[in-house]
Amino acid sequence: MAGLELLSDQGYRLDGRKANELRKVQARMGVFAQADGSAYIEQGNTKALAVVYGPHEMRGSRSRTLYDRAAINCQYSMATFSTAERKRRPHGDKKSTEMSLHLKQTFEAAILTQLYPRSQIDIFVKILQSDGGNYSVCVNAATLAVIDAGIPMRDYVCACTVGFVDETPLADLCYTEENGGVSSLAMALLPRGGQIALLQMDARLHQDHLESMMEAAMTACKGVSKVLDEVVRQHLEEASALSRD
Amino acid sequence: MIKTEKILHLKSSRGRKVRVVREHYLREKVPCFSAGCQAQCNNEGKVLPADLTHYVVPDVGVVLDFLEILEFREIQGIIFTQTACQAVQHNKGRRQYNRLRNLLRDPRHDCVLFANEFQEYSYCPREKGECHEKWQTRCVYSASVWYYNHLAGLKDIVMVTEDREAVTQYSSLYSGVYVISMQEYLHNFWLDVHAAHELYSSITQAALGRENEGSEKEYIEHLPSELLEAGIKSGRYVQGILNVNKHRAQLEALVTAQGFSNKSTELSRDVLVLGIKHRNRAIHGDSVVVELLPRGEWRGRNTALTEAQGEERSAEAPRSQPMPTGHVVGILQRNWRDYVVTFPPRDTPNQSRNSQKILTVPWDHRIPKIRISTQQADTLQDHRVVVRIDSWDSTSLYPNGHSVRILGRAGELETEVQTILVENCISVSAFSEAQLKEMPVVSPEQPWCPDPGQVQARRDLRESHLVFSIDPRGCEDVDDTLSVKQLPHGALELGVHIADVTHFVKEGSLTDLEARARATTYYLADRRYDMLPEVLSSNLCSLLGGVDRYAMSVLWQLDADSLEVKSVWFGRTLIRSSYQLHYELAQSLLNGEEPDVPELIRLPPEQRDRNLCDLTQALHTLTHVARHLRAQRDRGGALELEGVEVRAQLDSEKNITALVPRQPLEVHETVAECMIFANHWVARKIQEAFPHQALLRHHPPPRQEHFSQLQDCARAQGFSIDTRSNKSLAGCLEQAVDPQDPVVNQLLRMMATQAMSQAMYFCTGAVPAEDYYHYGLALDRYTHFTSPIRRYADVVVHRLLTAALDQEIDRSVSVGSTRDMEETAQHMNTRNRAAQHAQRMSTELFQCLFFRDRHPETDSDCLADAVIYGIRDNGVLVFVPQYGLRGPVYLRSRGGEVVSVATDGSCDWSSGTLTRNADHITTSSVSGSATFRLFQHITVCILVHTNPCHADALNLQLVRHAPHKSQSMRPVGGHTRARLVQEVQRQAEEATLRASLRPKLSREEKQFSQSKQPNLYSLLEEIQELSLMSSEASAQRLCATTA
Repeated sequence: MAGLELLSDQGYRLDGRKANELRKVQARMGVFAQADGSAYIEQGNTKALAVVYGPHEMRGSRSRTLYDRAAINCQYSMATFSTAERKRRPHGDKKSTEMSLHLKQTFEAAILTQLYPRSQIDIFVKILQSDGGNYSVCVNAATLAVIDAGIPMRDYVCACTVGFVDETPLADLCYTEENGGVSSLAMALLPRGGQIALLQMDARLHQDHLESMMEAAMTACKGVSKVLDEVVRQHLEEASALSRD
Repeated sequence: MIKTEKILHLKSSRGRKVRVVREHYLREKVPCFSAGCQAQCNNEGKVLPADLTHYVVPDVGVVLDFLEILEFREIQGIIFTQTACQAVQHNKGRRQYNRLRNLLRDPRHDCVLFANEFQEYSYCPREKGECHEKWQTRCVYSASVWYYNHLAGLKDIVMVTEDREAVTQYSSLYSGVYVISMQEYLHNFWLDVHAAHELYSSITQAALGRENEGSEKEYIEHLPSELLEAGIKSGRYVQGILNVNKHRAQLEALVTAQGFSNKSTELSRDVLVLGIKHRNRAIHGDSVVVELLPRGEWRGRNTALTEAQGEERSAEAPRSQPMPTGHVVGILQRNWRDYVVTFPPRDTPNQSRNSQKILTVPWDHRIPKIRISTQQADTLQDHRVVVRIDSWDSTSLYPNGHSVRILGRAGELETEVQTILVENCISVSAFSEAQLKEMPVVSPEQPWCPDPGQVQARRDLRESHLVFSIDPRGCEDVDDTLSVKQLPHGALELGVHIADVTHFVKEGSLTDLEARARATTYYLADRRYDMLPEVLSSNLCSLLGGVDRYAMSVLWQLDADSLEVKSVWFGRTLIRSSYQLHYELAQSLLNGEEPDVPELIRLPPEQRDRNLCDLTQALHTLTHVARHLRAQRDRGGALELEGVEVRAQLDSEKNITALVPRQPLEVHETVAECMIFANHWVARKIQEAFPHQALLRHHPPPRQEHFSQLQDCARAQGFSIDTRSNKSLAGCLEQAVDPQDPVVNQLLRMMATQAMSQAMYFCTGAVPAEDYYHYGLALDRYTHFTSPIRRYADVVVHRLLTAALDQEIDRSVSVGSTRDMEETAQHMNTRNRAAQHAQRMSTELFQCLFFRDRHPETDSDCLADAVIYGIRDNGVLVFVPQYGLRGPVYLRSRGGEVVSVATDGSCDWSSGTLTRNADHITTSSVSGSATFRLFQHITVCILVHTNPCHADALNLQLVRHAPHKSQSMRPVGGHTRARLVQEVQRQAEEATLRASLRPKLSREEKQFSQSKQPNLYSLLEEIQELSLMSSEASAQRLCATTA
């Protein structure tokens, strides 16, 4: 089977979406009581769990203490059962270290770290089921968890991947599309100001197309932010209703 | 907005079974593409008309097996389901799928694609334990029901399936949805489309025939594709295109390796595949994977000349150095097309016992025999038929196919011409009514006149410029005119005005699509197939004298002395050509004679003189400019191949016989030079405006190893040829003239031409900038702009130029994608190649028909002078200047006898030996020995080798080892060719008259009065541009140039 047709002549993708349509996003905040903040998110078939501890005193080596702001510690991992074939995934392999680093950078840009000098914020993310767009789902989950923990942020951080097929940008790639030889780009955005927290692309792309891809990624991120905002509001309503009783 | 649902897939990757979960989104609004839609669907693009009696939804099996029938344009209102399309992609591969996609895109064909699996109500998930085929049928049925409901029950839906169970299961469920079989469907609805019925029965016959086949293995199974891919990556296998040797189709085939990942240098050559077994069911043109044999089994290629086709030669035939040899282990992509085959006469013994199955012989030697199941075997005897190959299993010796269309009895002119068209994949039907409807109406009572709005928008050159055209005599389609004007401040203004075809042919219109599909006007020896409808090509777009016409113009301001370009203007104009000159007339004006210019006869004498003076002055200026341009290009290293030779001959001929020269005149070159200049400037313009989407034409430099034959031959004659650059090559060819024998230079130039690569269209975004160079013309950028009536490339370039001009006003103007442009360029390249092949084949056909009825012993036409230009092991290659023929002459017969030459030069066969050297070959026998050297003149006799299954071929036989005596008395080449065509046509006409007793004269005459040749300027231009110049074509064109 040489080359799946990722975008049909009529503009449908493999799973029936149009080029600019996102997968269905469902999320819940405050899933664990013992952590300071937690969230669970499903973006299509990619499912992730994020947990936030802190801000708290520096643990481990004190040398990492930053005197003007909080240090952010991220850890990314994938469940052994997250892919089609069960696979043991040791901690600290190259891929997850890189992903942890990306998450760290993203949230250093978003969290108002200067409010908590000499302290530490831990963000743990676990992929429960992987179906493409792992990074962006992690970012979205972690955003909700940070909000749940009550840590002030500049804005939501929303992330989305965008691929490029037949001169058209495809929003929110699923696993088959990611593997189908698409050059993809991941973007984390602070939607209100339109600032980019992180932008990552490994594949080759003609520079003429970069602009249209960025555009599509921004729209997609803004779409995600709307959903997240709704989730947060809903959660607040529920929480306040509970506390009123 | 969207409802999500999930489906489970069981998929194996790397052999392991894996459970994959995929999402599947459904939506309520999926466009139905029907004009009768009640629900305001968002129908864009092609829409099924509302006035049909029914819509038909073919089932998956029907689409897979009978797609060819659904391709008939008569069958309207087809709804292809997404399920069916996916099945085609899965089961039939990319080629078939692309065919379906093209069908769906083609606006001439009434069919749409319905994305049934994404529609909320028509989607049905596969149930547990349900087999795939059943599920597909259920999906298609539910799509049909959806359509019925969606169109509010106003339209009947017919679902066509080959599944008997489905017919009984579903047919009574819904009143408006009918479920019937294909046969019934054709019978009930399309009874009058006979071709469809015939195709149906031929396909079903073929399918039946396939089922009851033996299980004996004739070939090794192909390897699965994963293994092949892994093997190619690791370098164990070589991937390439299979090329069967035309002269030894049974034995030799070469695989031209492509996408080489292999580092070893010795494999950078081609791989030889010997014998049918090793070829393992691959057919000429397939993309195959070969495994190399151990080095001990490597063989060389056969270097001897073979006489007839298909005869296996014994192993002692001389062979070249052993080369990599391999056998085919798998086929990546079949490249089957429609083939023309001939049904053999019934009584031949090599028939299989089953009378239903006939082994037919393809017209193309390189294709193996094809087994056809048919009931019409008796009526089809000796007929040429178009067939398609269905399959080739490892259990069968020959591939299975089915017949598609009957062309006619073998040997008849019409059949043979149709054969040539089919073999080159040229399909030219008459322009449809819908296409002609797009054309403006022109009749004698209601002549076309320019639209006032257009007159406003265009620059009006009618009064300000003296515009004239120079074309061959009697030309109907004038697509270029010239003007030259003295500007007040001493500068010169040179103008080239090209017919504005794009004004009439809008992008995406039916006419445009048809023109794109044809890509060029096809010129055969006796007829032509136009790219555009006649009303455009010979009327509205033809820049005739004395009428107002739209044009695309390029105007240069040149410095009066240095002739440097000071500025250039492009744009749409309105012109009126004052003079429609022909070449001879223009030349005689230039020479200072005073011929009658038809446009001037009516005028009073003094005005006539004044006008004549103006015109002559303009022609002189034009010539002056053209000489300058030519000199400029010559300094850059432009090549000229045959042109010079013809002129040289002109001198000698003029001296001897003082005949009226019919060789190219300088004015030919002047016109050509102006056109090249215009093309060049337009290329610059569009490339600057659209650096990634411009359509240009380049001519890659030839590969040095191709020059070896030329260099060997030249050395034999004492010349040295420096082939390092186009400039040095041009210089050397200029000098390599033998004063005694003009043919020497002609032959050397011909060989140089053969070494050239082809000029091709390309899209600038797809090729690195250093490859834009045009080797033959020595220009850094070149394109085709000047003949939009007969080439589609020019139409594209016109559009690009218009867009570039619009862009100057509005920055946001853009053109299509690089990929589309590249696709268009490739398409035009293949069509052009096909057109040239067809032209060459038809010329050969006419040559054969000409010689067929002549008795070689009595008719002097069959004896001709020939020049040796190549030495082979058992013969020599010769060129016959008189007819522009090339071919082998054998010095050793199949029985092992060699030619012995008597003292007076006459030849006979006797036993003896042959010794071959670099520049001569010697035969020695009892009666003495004779030596044949390069460039020696001999006399040959031209015989026709008739063959019922293939094209007839001409054979050359040695008659005398001395120049043919009457050679100087005969007129040269082209004239004979034109006469030849007429002669053959007359014969064919007589034959049809005799056969049918029904006069068909009118039609033949109509064909005849068309301008048969591409106009002379274009021929010249192509020669200079060295487009495709494969062996015979160059010789042909050479003759044509002298006409």
